[in-house]
Amino acid sequence: MAIRPILQYPHQALKSTNAAVVPSDPAVQAVVQDMLDTLAASPGVALAAPQIGQAVQVIVVDVSRKKGERGHGLVVLLNPVILSLEGKKSVREGCLSVPDYTGNVLRYEEALVEGLTPEGRVVTVSASGFEALAFQHEVDHLNGLLFLDRIESLSTDLFRRKK
Amino acid sequence: MDHFAIITAFGPDRPGIVALMADSLHQLGCNIEDTCMTRLRGEFTMMLMVRLPEGIVAEDLGRRLTPFTTPLDLAILCRAMPDQAASRQTPLEIPTFMLSVYGADHPGIVAQVARTVAQHQGNITDMNTRVIGSGDRPIYVMVMEVQLQEAQQADQLRQALEQLKPLLGVDLTFRLLESVTF
Ligand SMILES: [Zn+2]
Repeated sequence: MAIRPILQYPHQALKSTNAAVVPSDPAVQAVVQDMLDTLAASPGVALAAPQIGQAVQVIVVDVSRKKGERGHGLVVLLNPVILSLEGKKSVREGCLSVPDYTGNVLRYEEALVEGLTPEGRVVTVSASGFEALAFQHEVDHLNGLLFLDRIESLSTDLFRRKK
Repeated sequence: MDHFAIITAFGPDRPGIVALMADSLHQLGCNIEDTCMTRLRGEFTMMLMVRLPEGIVAEDLGRRLTPFTTPLDLAILCRAMPDQAASRQTPLEIPTFMLSVYGADHPGIVAQVARTVAQHQGNITDMNTRVIGSGDRPIYVMVMEVQLQEAQQADQLRQALEQLKPLLGVDLTFRLLESVTF
């Protein structure tokens, strides 16, 4: 269909609420196709619908676009929710919608994500490592959260004061 | 054309230093851009890059700030920032590494490690050190971010750093800083 520009903050689409979708809706299928086209043309491995200005709960993740990563290949999820997270870790993270900056955020090594396929089938994806991070980041986008909302330490974690 | 200055300021830590500094700069018409501030034990230290208003040059800024900051006993130094250094540029994708060094505290650890990094064309872009541990057995901890133009230089630097371990009596790890962008 079309490659869309990836919106950058302060575009308010990135801080809005996003509606759950019905898979049979042709408009949803169009959004999915635009996201796939945009992802294919982008340097990234994942996108959330608000990043192309669509206020709906759709994410696409394909970590195999990164050298050395396989994961589940291309995953399109409608109305995704994270069922469980395991194994805290600190990650230096950046976002295509927030250029030129990275921050240390708290993420989890393993993520269990449930959602609908574009055909309307319920699936759960058990992701780990890099792929788990991608899902956590994209589901955040659907909730209007950027990694900036999660920065937990300014510099080297080592020097965080003991609480 | 915008002009920029760097201000360094420090003084005894207490609540309100940042507020006073920011308010003073605002009253002088300076716009605070990138900054880095932290506490070194009992002293609060600030480095601020500011955009200067028409009619104030960096050389005057310190003098004009002093009346505002005197109550907090801040030492202040200002210097003009070259326009090129002040311009915002997209960070290049340069291989970035983290180096942790720690061991019993003794003079010369920073100097030797930094010299080794420099000899391998490593650029230290961020750095923190702390003396920790008990008073009679202090431990020195240093963490730095190092950029190398070429990832291939990393192995040689790692080897050179390994050789420092017995020399300095420290432990260290040198690792690629992984950052992920989604
Ligand atoms: Zn993002």
